[in-house]
Amino acid sequence: MTLFVQQLANGLALGGIYCLAAIGLTLVFGVLGFPNLAHGALYMLGAYLTFFFLTDVGLPYVVAILAAAVVLAFLGVVLERLVFHPLRNSPHTHHMIATVGVMFFLVAVVQEIWGTGFLRMESPVNGQVSVAGAQVSWQRIIIIVTAVVVLLLLTWFLKRSPHGQAIEAIEQDRTGAALVGINPSMVSMVTFAVSLALVAIAAGLVAPINLLSPGMGDSLSLTVFAIIILGGLGSLPGAIIGGFTIAIAEVMAATYISVGAGEAAIFIILIAVLAIKPTGIFGTVTQR
Amino acid sequence: MTNRLNPRLLGVALIAIALLVAPFALSGQQYLLRVVTTAAIYAIAAYGLNIILGLTGQLSLAHGAFFGVGAYTVGLLTTDYDWSFWTAFLAAIVGTTVLGYVSGLIALRTQGAYFAIFTMALGFLIFIIVVRWESVTHAHSGVSGVKFPENIGPIDFTEPATMYYFVLLFLAGAAYTTHALLHSNAGRSLVAIRTSEDLAKSIGVNVAVSKQLAFTASATIAGLAGGLFASLNGFIGPDSTGIDRTFEMLLFLLIGGLGTVMGPILGSLLVAFLFEMLQDLETYRFIVLGPIIVLLVIFAPRGLIGYLNELVPARFRHRDTTPEPVASTTVSDTTKDGAL
Amino acid sequence: MTHLTGRTFKKMAAMASVGLLATVAACGGSGEGGEETIVIGYSAGLSGGAAEYGVNVQNGLKMAIDEVNEEGVEIDGKKYQVKLESLDDQYQPGTTGTNVQRLVEKEGASVVFIPHAGGIKAAQELNSGRTEFLIGAYSSDPAILDADNPLTVMIPPSFDSYVQPFIDKVKKKDDAKLGLMATASEFGQEWTKTTIKKWEESGGEVLAKNNIDYGTVSDFAGPVAKTLAGKPDVILVGGPSQPTALLIEEAREQGFTGAFLIADQAKFEELEEFTDPKNLNNSVGIMPLPLFEGTKDFIADYQEKYSSEKPVNADIALNYQALPIFIEAMKIAKSVDDPKAIRQAMPEAVKSVEGVFFVPNAVTDKGHLQADGLQAAYRNADGQYEPFDIEQPKE
Repeated sequence: MTLFVQQLANGLALGGIYCLAAIGLTLVFGVLGFPNLAHGALYMLGAYLTFFFLTDVGLPYVVAILAAAVVLAFLGVVLERLVFHPLRNSPHTHHMIATVGVMFFLVAVVQEIWGTGFLRMESPVNGQVSVAGAQVSWQRIIIIVTAVVVLLLLTWFLKRSPHGQAIEAIEQDRTGAALVGINPSMVSMVTFAVSLALVAIAAGLVAPINLLSPGMGDSLSLTVFAIIILGGLGSLPGAIIGGFTIAIAEVMAATYISVGAGEAAIFIILIAVLAIKPTGIFGTVTQR
Repeated sequence: MTNRLNPRLLGVALIAIALLVAPFALSGQQYLLRVVTTAAIYAIAAYGLNIILGLTGQLSLAHGAFFGVGAYTVGLLTTDYDWSFWTAFLAAIVGTTVLGYVSGLIALRTQGAYFAIFTMALGFLIFIIVVRWESVTHAHSGVSGVKFPENIGPIDFTEPATMYYFVLLFLAGAAYTTHALLHSNAGRSLVAIRTSEDLAKSIGVNVAVSKQLAFTASATIAGLAGGLFASLNGFIGPDSTGIDRTFEMLLFLLIGGLGTVMGPILGSLLVAFLFEMLQDLETYRFIVLGPIIVLLVIFAPRGLIGYLNELVPARFRHRDTTPEPVASTTVSDTTKDGAL
Repeated sequence: MTHLTGRTFKKMAAMASVGLLATVAACGGSGEGGEETIVIGYSAGLSGGAAEYGVNVQNGLKMAIDEVNEEGVEIDGKKYQVKLESLDDQYQPGTTGTNVQRLVEKEGASVVFIPHAGGIKAAQELNSGRTEFLIGAYSSDPAILDADNPLTVMIPPSFDSYVQPFIDKVKKKDDAKLGLMATASEFGQEWTKTTIKKWEESGGEVLAKNNIDYGTVSDFAGPVAKTLAGKPDVILVGGPSQPTALLIEEAREQGFTGAFLIADQAKFEELEEFTDPKNLNNSVGIMPLPLFEGTKDFIADYQEKYSSEKPVNADIALNYQALPIFIEAMKIAKSVDDPKAIRQAMPEAVKSVEGVFFVPNAVTDKGHLQADGLQAAYRNADGQYEPFDIEQPKE
């Protein structure tokens, strides 16, 4: 029982990270229609930026994460202008290949600046609490709480703010949105900014419990892709439910079956779901 | 085509001659010959990807994994089970065909990005099996001592030039298959699917069967290339099944030209040499390579072949092969100029 | 898009990028060295994940080469400059194969150093055919020797030597339970296999395998909790030092008080940098380099040369002291390009070369550098290192 509680807490923390990263990805997909394969590299960059602001600049932890989020949001706008805007009339395969180029570039740049080695970011809050006999570190509790808060804020942003509503409108009906005068370029930029800010927050949260290395985004991106496909591309509730489901399935399969089963769990679930429903659990819009 | 000098044919002939005389030009430089042989093997695999992505418009990210299955089939059968290369090679081809067919049954129920990510998951699953099924695959230890093809009469395959020509034979086969396919009804059906599935359906193309066949064929070709790769290298590790392989092949195809006959060859050779040259730059090479990829997609989306085709006078262009793509933003216009 | 300008622009950009490619390519083929150069090849992961290790070994080799050049190299009456030619393979064996062939045939190397088992195996496939070169194999995996490759010289001690003494140190009762959490790599896999075998032979119980890839896992908490649920007395860990430190910290935080058996890839001196050293108490691993006699000067020299404050470990030192042996062997063989003759001269060469610690004094028939006085260390409950001797099996 203790083991179950322990792993549930670990699964929820992991789920929080997955959610934040997955939502950013699914937003870009919903608005622009292609999966951003550089998402893992951007996550990695977010972690390094948080490290930079915390250690080298000396900002407090929360401010450091926010600063990293702002920088990445700005980078998102730059990427949209330089890379994806010129490609807006190209087939989506080309967008995806361009994101691979961005990925190569970011990983190499980080390696040049911060070196090839692992970096350790000190946890701002140490210690753990005992929950039903299980030891759960404060950092993991912070992750879970922050994830929930950010998700609530995001929902508010999408439902209430004009920019957010524009994003939702474009996700639902591109032509209709254009007809009512929503500027697609503007929405693309905002979407990229929000998406990258979210992934920076995810990275900043995970950095204290993990090590920083140029390759840290590789494994995450596979998982996150599985999540947004599972939930249905472009679907926010899908990304949230998918994120937590997959994290808990991963941890539980690793615990009660084997580590290999944990690694494979995500993909087995994904293949099973798509075999039954080829557009994901919440996917309604079929691709053109 | 009764024109005296068709620049396209001239180009193809030049490449063919260059490839044929390569071992003589590179005599004494076995390392360069090895680079060319390896590039040729990747080119074969890229032809596989070309069928499903270039012609049919479906981005399969499991391609590297099929390549790996072919490599491991030859690797494990010729070492642990002591099969001859030839039987193991046949097994690799048949095995990947069956695997491609079966996975296609499920994978092709999905479309677009779902298909891309589904195949990515499939590829990753295959990778996990290779890494975790230690008793069979030796996991991270990899497979050493993979056999060269056994001699056929006086032909000795341990000779690098012989191995090169052996690979070249399959490369020519892959290029010819692509050429023949483009000029067949089956190929036109695939291109129609790429343009629009609904449209293809409406003009009587059996979309499901066509896609299934294209996917299976692409897996077969990838497996074949993987088998050759295992034999050439003698050692294979789990990295030969990874997603990075898929991305590399994608890069070859993109640089050469999606959906063209000569694109995979040109792309693979060019990138192979580029990688060799950039070796001295160490990590900086990715700082250079990343933006080059982005620039290529933005400014030369039809690849090298597409670009060269623009230079060819219109009278030499095929008019009878590929239909002009119907106006559509999602569909690749890579072969607007027809196939070289 | 305006047709004319758009099209012209596209063409220009395409040409520009092709031009860029050509320029870059041209820069890449840098000039050949003079005639009097000995090229030592090196292929390892120098970019991407875990590149730190490849760079460490590279630095050790470079430092040795600089010193050798300072003293001057004269072989068969001719003076030579030694040069290290490094290529990046990102630890992918297939790439190692291509790199090695390039180093041997294009750069003219007759000795190639490779610090990872997969790459070594791929290279062994090559040098048992036509291309002849000597492999400086830096990996403690005994499988490298089992290949019976006549042109391989294995530099570090085989990890086989460590397993039993390590077990003896931390296994306090006959039926003790062993948890398995080494990294999922060639190295971790072989360590795990050997440890399981020896642990079971001594009557202990082995729990489920929880080997995870240290480089890609997002959170160690899950696998650690699972391992601890089996109530292990000892846990086998080991991979790159930094993630190993994190894993150990996680296990201590979750209340593990037993011992860690640390595979030789992880080094105490680096673990201490990444976690509160208290967490490392009650563990056994290879001895920190500074504890070996006579290593202080070397460590100081290295840190000064590379203006580095990072700990200097055995990987650096062992490669640093292995390189001069190859050069010495060339002198004895009176050849810089006959790998077989160089290999034959190795047993003679080791005798005249000095080193930092654990200095080789013999080469076995299989090509393993042998040295006396191998020690490991147990870090006790007070945080003190207790060195102990490791008996190496006769080969």
